[in-house]
Amino acid sequence: MHLHPLTAKKIQRFKSIKRGYWSGVILVLLMVLSCMAELIANSRALVVSYNNKLYFPTYGAFIPGNYFGLDYKYETNYRQLKHIFQQEQSGNWVLMPPIPYNPYESNTIAGQYPPHAPSWSQQHYLGTDAAGRDVAARIIYGFRLSMAFSMLLLIFNYAIGTTIGCLMGYRGGAFDIIFQRIIEIWSSVPTLYVIMIVASIMIPDFWVLIAILVFFEWIGITWYMRTSTYKEKSRTYTLAAKALGASDSRIILHHLLPNSISVLITFIPFSIASGITTLTALDYLGFGLPPPTPSWGELLRQGIGNLSYHWIAGSVVTAMVCILTMVTWVGEAVRESFDPKKFTYYE
Amino acid sequence: MTMNTTTPLHHSLCFAIAIFLASLLLGGCDDSGTAKPPANAATSSPAVQPDQSSAEVSQPSTPSAETEPALAKLPDNIEWTTNNDDKIFADPEAKRGGSFSTYIPSFPLTLRLVGPDSNGSFAGLLRDLQMGLVDFHPNTLNPIPALATHWAIAPDQKTVYYQLDPEATWSDGNKITADDYLFTLEFMRSKHIVAPWYNEYYSKQITDVIKYDDYTIAVVSGHAKPRDELIAATAISPKPRHFHQLDENWVQNYNWKKEPTTSAYTIDKIKKGKFITFKRLDNWWAENKKFYKHRFNVDKVRIKVIRDQNIAWTHFLKGELDSFPLVLPHYWHEKAKGELFDKGYIHKVKFYNDLPQPAAGMWLNTARKPLDDINVRQGLAHAININKVIDSVLRGDYERLETHHVGFNDYSNTKIDPREFDVERADYYFNQSGWSNFGSDGIRTKGGQRLAFEVNYGAQHHTDRLVVIKEEAKKAGVELNLKLLDSAASFKQVLEKKHQIAWMAWSGGGLSPRYWEFYHSVNANKPQTNNITNYSDPELDKLIEAYRKELSKEKRVAQAHQLEQMIHDSAVMIPTTKVPYTRSAHWAWLKLPSFYGTKRTTSLTSVFGGGLFWMDTEYKDVVEKAKKEGNPLPSRTIVDDTWRR
Repeated sequence: MHLHPLTAKKIQRFKSIKRGYWSGVILVLLMVLSCMAELIANSRALVVSYNNKLYFPTYGAFIPGNYFGLDYKYETNYRQLKHIFQQEQSGNWVLMPPIPYNPYESNTIAGQYPPHAPSWSQQHYLGTDAAGRDVAARIIYGFRLSMAFSMLLLIFNYAIGTTIGCLMGYRGGAFDIIFQRIIEIWSSVPTLYVIMIVASIMIPDFWVLIAILVFFEWIGITWYMRTSTYKEKSRTYTLAAKALGASDSRIILHHLLPNSISVLITFIPFSIASGITTLTALDYLGFGLPPPTPSWGELLRQGIGNLSYHWIAGSVVTAMVCILTMVTWVGEAVRESFDPKKFTYYE
Repeated sequence: MTMNTTTPLHHSLCFAIAIFLASLLLGGCDDSGTAKPPANAATSSPAVQPDQSSAEVSQPSTPSAETEPALAKLPDNIEWTTNNDDKIFADPEAKRGGSFSTYIPSFPLTLRLVGPDSNGSFAGLLRDLQMGLVDFHPNTLNPIPALATHWAIAPDQKTVYYQLDPEATWSDGNKITADDYLFTLEFMRSKHIVAPWYNEYYSKQITDVIKYDDYTIAVVSGHAKPRDELIAATAISPKPRHFHQLDENWVQNYNWKKEPTTSAYTIDKIKKGKFITFKRLDNWWAENKKFYKHRFNVDKVRIKVIRDQNIAWTHFLKGELDSFPLVLPHYWHEKAKGELFDKGYIHKVKFYNDLPQPAAGMWLNTARKPLDDINVRQGLAHAININKVIDSVLRGDYERLETHHVGFNDYSNTKIDPREFDVERADYYFNQSGWSNFGSDGIRTKGGQRLAFEVNYGAQHHTDRLVVIKEEAKKAGVELNLKLLDSAASFKQVLEKKHQIAWMAWSGGGLSPRYWEFYHSVNANKPQTNNITNYSDPELDKLIEAYRKELSKEKRVAQAHQLEQMIHDSAVMIPTTKVPYTRSAHWAWLKLPSFYGTKRTTSLTSVFGGGLFWMDTEYKDVVEKAKKEGNPLPSRTIVDDTWRR
């Protein structure tokens, strides 16, 4: 692959900032892993060997208990099945994921009341929440969800914000002025209250929540894109392109946008962090995704309400701090690598 | 470039602050352990169709002050009864004095007892300040004298004569006379109070108040009723005629006026949004009456607004609040622990009572398919694992509610057992109605439709319970989708009958079960009625009507048992949990009577209702000194099951 020398330099620079680089690597790895969360934390077995046949129940239809010789027709309890197979010693076996719980099921331990403390023997590595659901499983699925949420939020926000911002900067005139006023009015609408009102009359699902947030948050990036386009527009290369008869869309897409992309890119990590905190905050307040969706905000609320069960708040706070710190480090490194000056002197 | 990046961070900081403020605003939530519908359902009748026109047709027939007509003549041979035989239910050891601090989660919107915004939880406290003509003994449930010393029932079983206590005075010193009761009728029927439910009630249920002389009246009920029910219905409270100016501005003018009271306390100071204080009257008129002696012992009551329960708890641990309810399991088991408890500075009490239980359940809307099918309803009832909820999330603290009406003494049908979680029986019933195929996710299907229901609920802390139920229901091939709304919005949806399954509780109350509002076909498929299952059955209608008219208690009891059985058979409600006790913690200087409470005690530290406890100011010094020096006092955790059934 041939890279523009400037881009190669930026990548080189990014790699040289170890903290940011490794944070980026870990984050990407975590995201890839979380896409396969069903193989890490799940109540369905990875592999079941029953009567010399192999079954892979993770993805696909549910397998009723009587299929494996149990006395019920609902979904097989694989943890129980594993136990039974071990006792029978008939050559059948079950391979469970490392965390053998899904984020929804409440596990009751005889003689104890949830929340259960972390325990290796029960394989609740981070304990359970107040309803007996595995905290580790909920954190993993919650991570996947908040990442997906903030990525999608980012894509929609930037798509709308960049388009309008570029057009404002490029076209100027009445279009610019009208949108400036619209954005000013728009930005004074209190988003949080709108979400609260919407959440109290209907249940916002994943897409509705994204739609509401995009509705109010696309304005954030417009100002920067407008300024940047405005600046680039008056440069001679743009005038040259115009003189050669390039169309508006070509000028915007091929000349202006690539030259203002650094603005966008440096914002991305911080937008992701803000997306995660937004979702967490909304879930914390109970205006986010409906229960029983695994979410960090909901865990956080449980943790704050039950501070004596330190593992709930402890796990989720640690997870949040780690992820947000890593995202910030990545952001810092990206910003640094797009900075044309290699050294900055502060006086 | 460095400047730019501060903006998103700044943005999220603002957001965090906004969220913090919002959580302060919204965090406060009253929880007494069981779900309660919003306050306007608390009296359980208001949702019954208020017929506005009738209020205007039957205008008050009371004499006006200027043209006093000849007084009605009291019938001869009235047999007056009273009750001075029942035992007192207060502790003679009680000492007067001291102050008591407690909290409410939000400041009331008004001090009015009727009209817009008046039915909040604070109104419950204020209503306790207004006595009725008679009261009911909390242990024997017999009528006892209150504002009336004697009463008599006319043979028509509609009219009750009352002899008023001539000593009774308003807190402002005015005498309470028959005119104040005439004014109650005038007031409650007035359009100016903007309270259609009261307009209706005091026109149709209370049809007349007759004055015989200044201290003798009769109150007429719209329907003949058995003795105790009739007394309960007609024992109205007076309204101070000298205080109210009824005109179109009444609602605005009386928002923050302190209405004179008839009980031992009156509002002292108000700081809007912050606190309300009450003071004990020095020479309360009922001070030495048999059933009021040794009660209402605290001199000053301070009710502070603390919007968050966790914050209120820390206030309590600091000694700024004198008592704290511990009905919630994690408060009793986990939070109420540690040095303050071990060293005996704070005592814990679990007190079993015996009173009508809130009807907590999953109410199935039969107007929504497939809940119109009784097999589906029965299958669903067997797919709901309440016992697992009790054993896990609720720590075995709650008990299974058997049926809709529990705790009504003789009226309760104790033969009914709730449908237990049983996958095979659920399977049987679902198969009966054709839901026998399973989708790839294990949920039953029929004709391409999934067996999925929406469960509407309004209490966030019930999510823990519902997620357990949801997961268990999957075993029976049922999907439950939880729909948490703000409590008012949720209740509104239910009253508009837009729910599929409503998870909620009607507060229990009254002397006998009520069936008409919940199950009569008149109230089915109409918005704003309490028949939230939309269930109707001509047989049931007939029996409900007979029950409403029946005067003999024996027959009514038999009918109630039959009605309860029919409701159980219809499987329109899946009863969930009950809490047959009250639990609280209090600082050691707060003293409870030797018997702690009565059969009907809902809160051991109810200051205006029961008023049985007292503050030992001398002992307070002892406790505070011991706490300072770290010396232990006798530690106490009381469990009283005198009234456990």
